Amino acid sequence: MSKPDAPVQIEPEQAVAEAAELGQKLARGAELFAKLRDDEVKIATTPKDEVWRQDKVTLHHYRPLAPVKVAPPVLIAYGLIGRYTMADLQEDRSLVRNLLKLGVDLYVVDWGNPTRADRWLTLDDYIDGYLDECVREVARRHKVDKVNLLGICEGGVFTTCYAALHPDTVKNMVITITPIDFHADTEQDRLGHGFINLWTRSLAPEDIDRLIEAHGTLPGEFMGSVFSMMTPMRTLMKYNLDMLEVMDDEKKFLNFLRMEKWIADRPHHPGEAAKQWLKDLYQDNKLINNAFVINGRTVNLSDITMPVLNVFAKDDHIIPPATSQALGAKVGTKDYSELPLPGGHVGVFVGGKSQALLGSGIAKWLAERQ
Amino acid sequence: MDPAQYMKALAELWGQGGQSFMATQQNLLRDMAERFNKAGENAPAGAPANLFDPAAMTQANEAFGRLWSSAAELSQTFARNLQQGKEPDPLVSGLLGRIFDPSAWFAGSEGMDAALNRLAQGPRLADIWNTERQMLAVFNAWTALRRRSLEHNTVMLEAWLAAARSFAKLLNEKADRKEALGSWREVLALWVETANKVLLETQRSEPYLKSQRELLKASTDLRLAQQEVAEFYSEMFGYPTRAELDDVHKALTELRREVRALERAGRDRPARKARRSGAARAAPSEEKPS
Repeated sequence: MSKPDAPVQIEPEQAVAEAAELGQKLARGAELFAKLRDDEVKIATTPKDEVWRQDKVTLHHYRPLAPVKVAPPVLIAYGLIGRYTMADLQEDRSLVRNLLKLGVDLYVVDWGNPTRADRWLTLDDYIDGYLDECVREVARRHKVDKVNLLGICEGGVFTTCYAALHPDTVKNMVITITPIDFHADTEQDRLGHGFINLWTRSLAPEDIDRLIEAHGTLPGEFMGSVFSMMTPMRTLMKYNLDMLEVMDDEKKFLNFLRMEKWIADRPHHPGEAAKQWLKDLYQDNKLINNAFVINGRTVNLSDITMPVLNVFAKDDHIIPPATSQALGAKVGTKDYSELPLPGGHVGVFVGGKSQALLGSGIAKWLAERQ
Repeated sequence: MDPAQYMKALAELWGQGGQSFMATQQNLLRDMAERFNKAGENAPAGAPANLFDPAAMTQANEAFGRLWSSAAELSQTFARNLQQGKEPDPLVSGLLGRIFDPSAWFAGSEGMDAALNRLAQGPRLADIWNTERQMLAVFNAWTALRRRSLEHNTVMLEAWLAAARSFAKLLNEKADRKEALGSWREVLALWVETANKVLLETQRSEPYLKSQRELLKASTDLRLAQQEVAEFYSEMFGYPTRAELDDVHKALTELRREVRALERAGRDRPARKARRSGAARAAPSEEKPS
C-alpha cells in the first residue's frame, strides 16, 4: 500500500493495468492511423449544385432530402473566418442535413479562397455586392421577392447588415453565434470567454493597418493561432491525450479527424475587410451604435423589420452570449426571438444535444413565419 | 521528498535558470544594438554591415534550448516522483513527462509566435546580403522579434511556475486531508484544470497582452523590412514589385466593383421603368376628384 500521506496513491497492479491498456490503445490506434487515408476523412458531403458564381464566390443549391415544406428558400452565409462546411461536418452532425430533412429549401454561399490579390475587397463588397447578388439569384430562381437568411458567426454580421440595408428582400432572418455588441464581453466575467474581444482591443489601430500592409490579408493561420490561444490546455493536450482517447475507435477517430480537417481549412481574410472587422467592429463597436457604414449607407439596426431569430451558445467562449443578445433591444421588429442552446461556439453545430435542437428550432420557427 | 517542497525546489531552480538566461540574453541583445548603432554612426552609406556575430546568436539560441531541455528534464523527474515508492513505468513516465513538460507550454502558447515567424521569415538573410541598408533594417527587425519573443516566453515561464506552485499546493492539501489521487487520469485532470486556470488568467493580464502586442508589431516590422529588400531586387531586375502588384489588384477590384454596379443598374432599369409606367397609368385615377 502507498503511504497514507502520499498525494498520489496508485496501486502497482493498477499502474500495470493502465500502462497495458495504454499500450493496447496505442497499438490499435497506430494500426487504424496507418489504414486511414486523407480522402476517407470527408466533410461537407451533402449533395449540392453550383448555381451561380462571381469572382471567387460561388452559390450552391442543396439537393432536397425531403419534400419542401418551408418557403421561401433559406440562404446560409458563413463568415470569412473559417468555412461554411462547419454546418455540414458529417452526416450525423449536420445542420444542413437536418434542415433539408425537415423540408427547408437550402442554399449556401462559399466565399472561396481569398489571397493577397483580394486584399482590397471590403465588407461593403461582401455584403452589398456578393451577398446581395446571391439573394437576388435565389429570388430570381424561385420567382419570389424575399428570401430567408441564415447567418453564422461573421456571416451573421453580414446578414444583419444586409437585412438592415435591404429589408424589402429579406422574409425572415436567423443569426447564429453572431456578435452584435463587440464590447459586451465585459458584461460577463467568465474566465476564458471573450478573449478575442480583449486581445483586439489591446492592439492599436495602426498595428492592424501595418499587419494588413505586411500580409495583404488577415492570414488564416494567424486567426487559427488566436483561436488556439483561447483554449490553451486543450490545444496542448489535443494531439497527445485527446487523440489518444479516441484513436482506437474508428468512428470517434474519424470524428476527431473531420473536425481537424475543418479547423485546418482556414481561408485568409481579405485585408481591407479585415481592417473593418477588427477596427470598426471589434475596436470601435460601430454596429450596435448604428454607426457602421456600408457603401455610404449607415447600418441602422432599427431598419431590421422582418422577424428575427437569434441563436446563441450558452457557453460560447468566442462570441459570449451577451454580445449576441444585444441585438434584441435594437431591432425594429416586435417578432424577435432567442434560442439559447447548450454548448460552445462549435459545439452548437456538432454537439449531440445542440445540433438536434438547432435544426428543428430553426425549421419550426421558419415554418411558422411563411 | 514532500511534494510541496519538491515542487518549490523545482520551481525555484527553473525560475533562477530562466532569470539568469534572460539576463544573459538581454546583455547580448544590448551589446548587439550598441554595435549596430555605432555602425550606423561611423560607416559610410552602403558600406557592408559586417557586424553581426552569428556565433553569439547561435550560442544564445543554444543556451535557450538548453534551458528548456533542463526544464523538461526536471518535469520528467516530477512525473517520475509522482509514482512514489513504485517502480516507474517507462510508458507512464513518458506520457506524464509530456504532460508536465513546460516546453509544451512554450510551444503551445507560442503558436502565435510560431505562426508569426512562419509568416515573417520570407527570404533568408544569405539571399539579401548585398543590400546593406535594407539588410541592416531586416536584421534589426529580426533581432527585435527575437527579443520580443523572449519577453513573451518569460511571461509564459512565469505562468508555468505559478501553475506548478498551485498544483503542488493542491497536492499537499489533498495529502493533509488524507485524500489521494487514485489514477493517472485524476492526476492529469487536476493538472489540466489547474494549469488551464492559470493560463487563462495570464492571458487576461496586462503583461501578456503587452508582450503579445509587441511580438505582433515586431513580426510585422520584420515582414515589412523584408519587403523593402524584395522591392529593391524586383526593381533592379525589372520584375513587378509588391507595391505595383498591389496597385494592379486594387485597380482590378475597383473595376469589378464598377462592373457589378453597372450590371445591377442594367438589371434594375426595366423593373424601375415598369414601376414608373405602372405609376403613370395609375396616376389619372388617383387624381380624380372625389
